[in-house]
Amino acid sequence: MLLIECPYCGKRHETEFRYGGEAHIVRPEKPEDLNDTEWADFLFMRTNTKGVFAERWYHANGCRQWFNALRHTVSHQIIAVYKMGEKPPVSDQGSEDR
Amino acid sequence: MAKFDNWRSPVAHLSEGFPSSLTELPFTHQINLRGDITDKAFKTAVKKATGLVLPVIPNEVGMGKDNIKALWLSPNEWLIVSDHEITDIRDSLAEIHSAATDVSANRIILGLSGPDALEVLMKSCEMDLDPNVFKTGQVVQTLIAKSQAIIEKVSDDTYHIYVRNSFAAYVCEWLVDAHVEYRM
Repeated sequence: MLLIECPYCGKRHETEFRYGGEAHIVRPEKPEDLNDTEWADFLFMRTNTKGVFAERWYHANGCRQWFNALRHTVSHQIIAVYKMGEKPPVSDQGSEDR
Repeated sequence: MAKFDNWRSPVAHLSEGFPSSLTELPFTHQINLRGDITDKAFKTAVKKATGLVLPVIPNEVGMGKDNIKALWLSPNEWLIVSDHEITDIRDSLAEIHSAATDVSANRIILGLSGPDALEVLMKSCEMDLDPNVFKTGQVVQTLIAKSQAIIEKVSDDTYHIYVRNSFAAYVCEWLVDAHVEYRM
């Protein structure tokens, strides 16, 4: 089982959390200007990273706060956790061969 | 108290089978309080109405006068527990961006005590409850047998467990069952 460190409560078991998908997806400022392809891209298309991936987690059975985590999608190692609105403390790019 | 006159505990029918270390604590007044702790007006108003200094450190319990306490639930949320009605908190907070909701009917409180309390809890919950980590005066929100619960450590071997009414009977039955091996 994964031990995930909530930025508020500390290390807790995976069962207390819910997964929230890819992080840092910005809602378009003017959705009405987008065509269907661009809108669908915002709504549905996500990267399928092999390596370090920035994703959202929700501490559902604890403090009920959302936060971000950098997780390696092969080893499940969690490299960093950080609060909503913060930038990733380390780059989540180019780590295919980790 | 008039408020609780017609209330029935969801675990009343189970209490005969409780081991001596498990008790249901009488109904208490519980208020869910939300607000911005960095707002001085909010802090002062809460202090004035309840005498409480709200804990800002995660998973801590703040004690006030007359057995009133505040359990840290999240960075902007506390559960105020008291054996007497807290009447003036909503008036004090009226002008401040905040919410104080009476949730007395939301949860029952179970008292778990004695030398086996820790082991019974450890069987039921994945949380690290080692006395070096989880200390008196701390509170934790986690899962007990897959149902959401708040565990407060009241003293070295006494825990208060807050569970939702609708889960209460299930959690009680679980804890009674978990006690069996210690009653041999």
